[in-house]
Amino acid sequence: MTSPQPVLRLGALERGRRRAALAMLSPTLAGLVVFFVLPLLATILLSFTRYNLLSPPQWIGLRNYQYLFTQDPKVWTSAGNTLWFVVVLVPVRVLTAMGVAALLIRVRRGSGFWRTVFYLPALVPPVASVVAFVFLFTPGGGPVNTVLGALGLPQPLWFNDPQLAKPSLVLLGIWVMGDVMVIFLAALLDVPRELYEAAELDGAGPVAKTWYVTLPTIAPVIGFAAITGVIAALQYFTEAAVASTVASGKAGAGSSATDVLGYPDNALLTYAQWLYVRGFGSYQLGYASALAVLLFVVAAAAVTFTLRKVKAFSPEEAMS
Amino acid sequence: MRSVRRHRLALPAASVLVAALGLAGCSTSSGGSGTAASAAPTHLSGTVSLWHFFTDREADVVQQAVDSFEKANPDVTVDVHSGQDDEKLQKAISAGDNVDVGISYSTDIVGNFCSTGAFLDLTPYLTRDKVDLSQFSDTVRSYTEFKGTRCTMPLLQDVYGLYYNKALLSAAGYSAPPKTLSELEAMADKLTTFNADGSIATLGFNPLQGWYENASSHYGPAAGATWLKDDGTSAIGTDPAWAELIEWQNAYVQKIGYDKLKAFSAASGQEFSADNDFQTGRVAMNLDGEYRTAFIADQAPTLDYGTAPFPTADDHTDLYGGGYVTGNIAGIAKGSKNPELAWALLKYLTTDTDALVALSNGLKNAPTTTAALQSPNLQVSAQFKTFLDIAASPHAATTPASPLGSGYQTAFQDFWTGTQSAPLTDLASGLAGVDKDIDNQLSLVAGP
Amino acid sequence: MSAVLTAGGATVPTATSARRRRRRSLPAVVAEHTGLAVLAVLFMAPVVFVVLTAFMPSSQALTGSLWPHPWTWENFATAFTRAPLARWFANSALYAVLATGFMLVSSIPGAYALARIRFRGATLVFAAIVVMMLLPPQITSVPTYIVWAKLGLTGTLWPVILPNLLGDAFSIFLLRQFFLTIPRDYSDAARLDGNGEWGVLLRVIAPMARPGIAAAGLFMFFNSWNDYYGPLLYASENPSWWPVAYGLATFRGMHGTDWSLTMAITLLVMVPVVVLFFFAQRVFVEGIALTGIKG
Repeated sequence: MTSPQPVLRLGALERGRRRAALAMLSPTLAGLVVFFVLPLLATILLSFTRYNLLSPPQWIGLRNYQYLFTQDPKVWTSAGNTLWFVVVLVPVRVLTAMGVAALLIRVRRGSGFWRTVFYLPALVPPVASVVAFVFLFTPGGGPVNTVLGALGLPQPLWFNDPQLAKPSLVLLGIWVMGDVMVIFLAALLDVPRELYEAAELDGAGPVAKTWYVTLPTIAPVIGFAAITGVIAALQYFTEAAVASTVASGKAGAGSSATDVLGYPDNALLTYAQWLYVRGFGSYQLGYASALAVLLFVVAAAAVTFTLRKVKAFSPEEAMS
Repeated sequence: MRSVRRHRLALPAASVLVAALGLAGCSTSSGGSGTAASAAPTHLSGTVSLWHFFTDREADVVQQAVDSFEKANPDVTVDVHSGQDDEKLQKAISAGDNVDVGISYSTDIVGNFCSTGAFLDLTPYLTRDKVDLSQFSDTVRSYTEFKGTRCTMPLLQDVYGLYYNKALLSAAGYSAPPKTLSELEAMADKLTTFNADGSIATLGFNPLQGWYENASSHYGPAAGATWLKDDGTSAIGTDPAWAELIEWQNAYVQKIGYDKLKAFSAASGQEFSADNDFQTGRVAMNLDGEYRTAFIADQAPTLDYGTAPFPTADDHTDLYGGGYVTGNIAGIAKGSKNPELAWALLKYLTTDTDALVALSNGLKNAPTTTAALQSPNLQVSAQFKTFLDIAASPHAATTPASPLGSGYQTAFQDFWTGTQSAPLTDLASGLAGVDKDIDNQLSLVAGP
Repeated sequence: MSAVLTAGGATVPTATSARRRRRRSLPAVVAEHTGLAVLAVLFMAPVVFVVLTAFMPSSQALTGSLWPHPWTWENFATAFTRAPLARWFANSALYAVLATGFMLVSSIPGAYALARIRFRGATLVFAAIVVMMLLPPQITSVPTYIVWAKLGLTGTLWPVILPNLLGDAFSIFLLRQFFLTIPRDYSDAARLDGNGEWGVLLRVIAPMARPGIAAAGLFMFFNSWNDYYGPLLYASENPSWWPVAYGLATFRGMHGTDWSLTMAITLLVMVPVVVLFFFAQRVFVEGIALTGIKG
């Protein structure tokens, strides 16, 4: 909110503009209420009920929460898996993206080619990339294990091994790090050249330049990438669900789709999937709402933190 | 940018709150019990939708039965939705999609669907049309109703037994299938071969839970294991039969090596394709349903194989001859706009002898009515006959109906699958945990 | 090698520092390029294996021999008979095109109002939009689903298409960021010319913001095309509404199929998106840079 605009201080004009603003924003405002505020309130209300869509909801007080916190056999497994992705997948992706971007800005010749090579995987539709990875890492004849075998290396079970299923998805996460990489590329190219020259005059080597010039300059970008990564990881669903479905080789006649979620041995069962299984596999919509409320509390904390840290999300800064 | 997803799961109108408060809870559909007209309509016309789970070749067989129904009723169009597993069927009915008749592959949904009214009570139609229920066996009658409400009709049944590759067995010096789990294990050992690098080339029998039809429900009858007590709570931890089965299976998995079995299973051909490991000879003996005979006839007609009841646990040899039986079941969805037409289709599919025989011959599922079982047109090969005998055995057993649907089986299956990667440590407390999980879930879903 | 040797033999003191720097940087440059090349090979390997597998006879997949013999188009022909690919693509196109169109109509004016008109509550509205954008969609999916079910629209893709008529949080955010980069003088001048706010938006801002609008549209298009959760939740019971992303995920389970065929379909799903990218590369990368850091 900077420059005052004396020319436009006319009352009628001002009113007209407010009316126009309201008209322009009316779909958005309706969307906020109908798609966000009301469902949020409804979720909270539903979390105190037993409801399966077929019989009317039944008020059961805190029973869902009692079950959630003291009896649900998988809620902590799934929350733990999601936390694992937050703690491992996010930093690994950010660091890889930063590293590759740092390598890429040094390349002069054919920079477009190299950038495309590393960005391309991020464009592959997530479902297609997961299906491809599960195939590549199939034990017993899959390309990766064939190559490992030829090199005399051990051939793990990857997506079929409860210990390795999550790390396998991290490999996939690295492969598609292009979306984060592009942001780092832009940021690194924006670091003022004079800063490096000044540092060189002070006798700084490559390490010192990185530490004292590059990192402080791109720190906001690292923060942005990390925070948006955490928020995405909290809702991690598609990659894990598709990996389980494809790797288990099940689904189809004779078994229900949500039975395979989490395969192998619930290693890939994330919180968002557990909510889906309870809500839309077993139709325990009241209980799923309780799970959603817990997710809301955690995500709201992350979002509050984000709003403080990321300048772009704050409205005051932006009205320039 | 992929890392910040957008909200697109939004919804119209302020009716959200209303729905949340339950005021819209059951306003859209006509309610639980059927209201049949005093007489069956003499002429049928209109469109009726049929949802079933079959795909590919099996869906074609169902389509033929539907075609005959349409031919007999020229003003009726049947709108067929194939490939719908139980979850999708439940989703469609719960959400009020246009479902008239739904077919499920298991009896798991009966408890849930009868008690919630997702399937209409069929009693008024059965009484009016004087349908004789004694044409079904007691087992079949019991698994199609829940607490006295008959909301489904049986449509063929699935029966599980042992398939064995005769050529491979005789090459290993065996002429008869195993009758106990110990015999199964000994024979399987001899039939298992390894590659030079130590990995498994072919298996005599794959004991890994979760692979193909290796499920707790299919193993249970081998030791007469029970699932639920009379009050609906879990009996798993208190029935020593389960512990016995798990201990046998775990020891066997450890003997071969869990990692080796996992690698072998991960490279298995898809179960319902021509690459099925039993059909390719990758495994010599396998637990499977009677429908496999049709897949083999279609996809591996030269395979030399036999069928037998599944072996029993060593101290339960008296149970030999039985096995796991479950029904395909069908009912009329709550939201059906034309229940009379739906009933006509349902009655045709589940009680018309010609329809049942045609379906049975095509799907190689066991028919459920006396007339169909005795029909001279029913094609019964030696391999298929085994399954008719198992179904008729007093030791045939099924999984009980519960408001949890198959939830209690999932809870137990999860536990069992989780135990196989390492030798058992404290099985008793693990099973007690399963009991607690199931009872807690039951109280959450159906408690006071 | 010779360059390094020559430089080492040089004795002119004034040139030393410059030459030393070059001497250091050459191996570094080689190392960097080698590193990049190795990484690039690793990054391209998955695509290469997918292509190779898609072109091999179905009996060859998982045999441990990685090079197709013989090369065959058979899998692609089979793909169209085994999977209703045309229908999947049509559904995806319908979803992506309508969602994008609806989003643009509803979100451009909203984003403009938030970027260029001062009014009470603007801060609150913007904050609400950011919060909505950041919170996981699963939080509201239960009541959302219930209402769509009561409206009889489950079993279709309408529940993921129609909401875009009422704005899309991420797109509004992105568009607003872009509108903010256009100097205020332009809109002020347009107002002095007698334009109302709609006139300013339609005659001045929208044409100038074309790259930003294109980026927002592309993001929406890609997100809809790739969406798995929405179709899973709303259309899984109705194959006639399946988009490619959902269809591909269920393909291996639904039909007994082989990996060569699955890889052929996977490739068919990848190609259109990649092709579109090459046509819109610049817009896309600019858009990504806009999402956060340049506000």
